[in-house]
Amino acid sequence: MATETETRALIDRLAAAPEPVRPIAPPMHRAALWLALSLPITGALVLAMTPRADLALKLAESRFVLEQAGALVTAIAAAAAAFAMVVPGLSRRWAAFGLAPAAAWVLTLGAGCVSDLARSGREGLALGADAMCLPYIAMIGMAPAALLVAMLRRGAPTAPRGALFLAMLAAAAMGNFGLRFFHEQDAGLMVLVWQFGSVLLLASLGGLCGPHVLCWRHRSA
Amino acid sequence: MTPLAPNGAAAPRRKPADPRDLDALMAASQAGDGAAYRALLIWVSSHLRGLVWVRAPYLPREDVEDIVQDILMSLHLARDTWDPSRPFRPWLATIARNRMADHARRYGRRVAIALEIVDIDETFCDDATNNHADKVVNFLAVRDAIQALPPSEKAAVNLLRLRQMTLAEAAEASGTSVAALKIAIHRATKRLRGLLSDGHGDRDTRPD
Repeated sequence: MATETETRALIDRLAAAPEPVRPIAPPMHRAALWLALSLPITGALVLAMTPRADLALKLAESRFVLEQAGALVTAIAAAAAAFAMVVPGLSRRWAAFGLAPAAAWVLTLGAGCVSDLARSGREGLALGADAMCLPYIAMIGMAPAALLVAMLRRGAPTAPRGALFLAMLAAAAMGNFGLRFFHEQDAGLMVLVWQFGSVLLLASLGGLCGPHVLCWRHRSA
Repeated sequence: MTPLAPNGAAAPRRKPADPRDLDALMAASQAGDGAAYRALLIWVSSHLRGLVWVRAPYLPREDVEDIVQDILMSLHLARDTWDPSRPFRPWLATIARNRMADHARRYGRRVAIALEIVDIDETFCDDATNNHADKVVNFLAVRDAIQALPPSEKAAVNLLRLRQMTLAEAAEASGTSVAALKIAIHRATKRLRGLLSDGHGDRDTRPD
């Protein structure tokens, strides 16, 4: 059990020879660094998996470009918000900033579903099985996720669930961004359910694990 | 007259600090100025002690100091997350709130574990037969029973049950062996059952 004398001794010990510390960079700067390191890794994995044959055609499609932009912007915003969540005192509006692009991404996928319905009728919304989406997204998102967690550990875990949810959302969105360059699945409902569903599942698992992954590094008194 | 907190301690009197002074002290601390850091930590500990007293008046002084120390350590580890262009107080408040919430959760678990030590169904498990006053009386009975244990067993209950340490951590903290702790906690549990079931203590077991 602690006493005030021990508290004074602790203060003396902490203040005896404090090492100078450099304030961590703003969340957007850290997100930019994460992106600069994650994109080449994702690109290398896409090349290793062999890009889809119709990639040039897909890149000319505004719907494909819009959906991919949605995934990439979601990844960047969620990463920045995750970095903000480990800085005490920053506004929780950062969380909304991190989630807003994900909502926009869902809207683009929903618009794809409507477009499929208008073009092919009910058959355009056929939902088959595509269980490989989850492992592919997890595989591509693994390195960006590990990088994010390592960077988040340099921070204060005052909101570990939120921070890790956003971090895993960012990594999984990056995984989905890479997946669509080699995985030939563009049906709106399939992308919405299997791919975005996988992203949401991975982000939720991250949120659940938050307090175990991001915790104070000193033992509680 | 100095006001008294419900836990019997005199509430500290603090001079209101100028937020700009605190910002300057923290900035100097980040640059490695030990004197500034010491002054800042002294102000923070005094301020937090009062805050914890107000928020959790039922806590004994030792627990209040535990929380204050925990917040100081957290501040120390997270001091590179403070941006000199932002005010210090909201940054500190977020850390303090987080650590106090952690302690509140741990305190709740400690109380629950203390009550689980004795499994007298008709008293502890059936809410329909209980009311708040009964629970308070039961909790006090458990606390008194723990106080009545021999020192080695009381230490084992404190470390393993109340503070939720592992056997290895408790052995290290108490300077005894894991085997001795296992025996002590076993004896303590048995003795507590006796103390709380008949109210007269377990006469078959002798203190160490």
